[in-house]
Amino acid sequence: MMDSMIVHSAAGALVEITDVRKSYFSNRVETPVLHGINVTMQRGDFVAVMGQSGSGKSTLMNILGCLDTPTSGAYRLAGVDVGAQSRAELATLRNRTIGFVFQSFNLLKRMSVLDNVALPLIYAGVSRSASRSRAQTQLDKVGLGELASRQPNQLSGGQQQRVAIARALVVDPPLILADEPTGNLDTRTSNDIMALLNELNRERGQSIILVTHEPDIAAHAKRLVRLKDGLVLYDGPAAEGLRQLRTDDNTASASEVSQ
Amino acid sequence: MKLIHVLSEALRAMLANPLRTMLTMLGIIIGIASVVLMLAVGDGIKLFIDKQLSVLGSNLVIVQADSRKAVGARLRTGTVQTITLDDAEAINRLPSVKGAAPMLTTYSQISYGNDNTNTQVQGTTPISFAIRNLRLAKGIGLSEVDIASASRVAVLGKKVAEQLFYKNDPIGQTIRIDNQSFQVIGVLDNEGQSFDSGDIGEVVMVPISTARVTLIRTATPRTVQYVVVQSKTTEGLNDMVADIYDLMRDRHRIRAEEPDDFRVVNFGEFAKTGEAIATGLSIALGFVGAVSLVVGGIGIMNIMLVSVTERTREIGIRMAIGARPSDVLWQFLIEAVAICLVSGIIGVALSAGVASAVSSTGKFEMAIGAKAVGIAVVFSCIVGIFFGFYPARRASKLQPVECLRYE
Ligand SMILES: Nc1ncnc2c1ncn2[C@@H]1O[C@H](COP(=O)(O)OP(=O)(O)O)[C@@H](O)[C@H]1O
Ligand SMILES: [Mg+2]
Repeated sequence: MMDSMIVHSAAGALVEITDVRKSYFSNRVETPVLHGINVTMQRGDFVAVMGQSGSGKSTLMNILGCLDTPTSGAYRLAGVDVGAQSRAELATLRNRTIGFVFQSFNLLKRMSVLDNVALPLIYAGVSRSASRSRAQTQLDKVGLGELASRQPNQLSGGQQQRVAIARALVVDPPLILADEPTGNLDTRTSNDIMALLNELNRERGQSIILVTHEPDIAAHAKRLVRLKDGLVLYDGPAAEGLRQLRTDDNTASASEVSQ
Repeated sequence: MKLIHVLSEALRAMLANPLRTMLTMLGIIIGIASVVLMLAVGDGIKLFIDKQLSVLGSNLVIVQADSRKAVGARLRTGTVQTITLDDAEAINRLPSVKGAAPMLTTYSQISYGNDNTNTQVQGTTPISFAIRNLRLAKGIGLSEVDIASASRVAVLGKKVAEQLFYKNDPIGQTIRIDNQSFQVIGVLDNEGQSFDSGDIGEVVMVPISTARVTLIRTATPRTVQYVVVQSKTTEGLNDMVADIYDLMRDRHRIRAEEPDDFRVVNFGEFAKTGEAIATGLSIALGFVGAVSLVVGGIGIMNIMLVSVTERTREIGIRMAIGARPSDVLWQFLIEAVAICLVSGIIGVALSAGVASAVSSTGKFEMAIGAKAVGIAVVFSCIVGIFFGFYPARRASKLQPVECLRYE
């Protein structure tokens, strides 16, 4: 708790990527995906990332999440030079600094909901009983306190995603990364999840980066980053960005009609 | 990460697929059971031999007539009477000999009141008590006076005394041996098998002189069946046997080219044979154990590799939320060791079952000692670490982003 409070109050940008490029290599053939991305994000911001399928959103999120390394470019996360970290240090950095929310929930089977939520604390070296009681508190906050002893597969999709959010929040990390968190959920459940994230951002100043296809979802964010073919197409206020997006789409469909 | 947490994770993983875990454990179970049984057999045989020797007394040989070899004109068949009281006395005077006890034995009916039993009666001398480690639970042993006067006294084996007298005191009571009266003067304390008379508890001992007069007809008044001889030292045993050969051949006037008309049976040799058998059996079981452990270990490695592949996504999730490579390594290593340890415990239980089944036959005592359990635990851990390390290391080297993409 102390660690992350210090991180929260530290000066400077939370996320700062400079000219990040990423290529995948298979059989020595290079496939460039990100062509030099620059993004800076302050604490308390809520950023939606949009872009067509294959534009590099997940690739960027993996780099931001310290799960993958860029081919070139610099990344500073909460003041730490990510490129200079060892594998073990990266694990600790992820553990303290980032909470992940995945499209497919990614809860561990054969483990109770409570133990799933407690696991990041276990890896942080917190005792078993303290981890469990903090996990229970977090589950209560997302409204699932009563389901703590269930197995994840006994829960609905929306409930599982709430558990995943509780797990992401349990170490109180400065940054939440959510790659299409509502991609597997129906509209109503999606709205519930977005309401929860929105509340976290507004009431606790929780920094969030969220990838989505849907403008309705992106509309919850303060800021929009649009990617196109591995480059930043737009970076600014969400409302303005979404307006541009609609115009672009209309132009695109108009040109389709005219063809 | 705390050890209890890693252990509970290991247990969870083992229980997730109980049949597969069980089958994987089989090789280790058999391996550990073999190793433990190997040690138990070795210990059991040693115990058996030690017990024999303590009943026998140690450093003993038997000198007896060997009619098979006494061919030719010198002796007519059927009148073999090569060992005499005088031979026994001469042997007893050898400097290398601690004591030599002449023996006459027969099976007789022993009765007291309405109870009777058939058992071995040994006619012997007081020397017998000393060299064969015989201890008295009650009363006194045979004395030289008893021998000289051919007194009708008897010392009972423990079981004979129980059969005839139950819990009553046999000392001073008169029993009948082949319908002759004998007074009980002592009861032996010893238990176990002896080399020449079966169960030492089922023996009745009387003065050799009395036995000859009342129970056993001998070819001549001085014939004995065999002589039990003890050497002064363990190292001097072989020299003593050589001395006995020289003495006996001289006394029996056997010419250089003629064969012996007696033989010397060395019970130390029996013990050595027993030890050799024990060693052989131990090596065989040890081999089975080693092969099973290696095969079982390979099975563990195989299943751990499968498990790492199956749980790739799980590894990715764990790494994403903060598991360090070392955390992942420990998780899989501890899981392999836990499988081996549980197998080891089952193996020990299995071998304990076999040991108690063998022991319950009463012929051979097998005990699983703390040493065997300790060795089983150490061996299981070694197998687990050795064969679990590679899969665990492989898991720890996985890249989180690739694991999370894995379906
Ligand atoms: N591991 C990989 N190896 C090779 N190519 C990849 C790999 N991951 C993604 N790609 C490619 O990179 C591009 C961007 O993928 P991704 O970042 O997943 O896009 P998005 O999330 O925006 O749909 C796609 O063309 C995809 O095929
Ligand atoms: Mg994607």
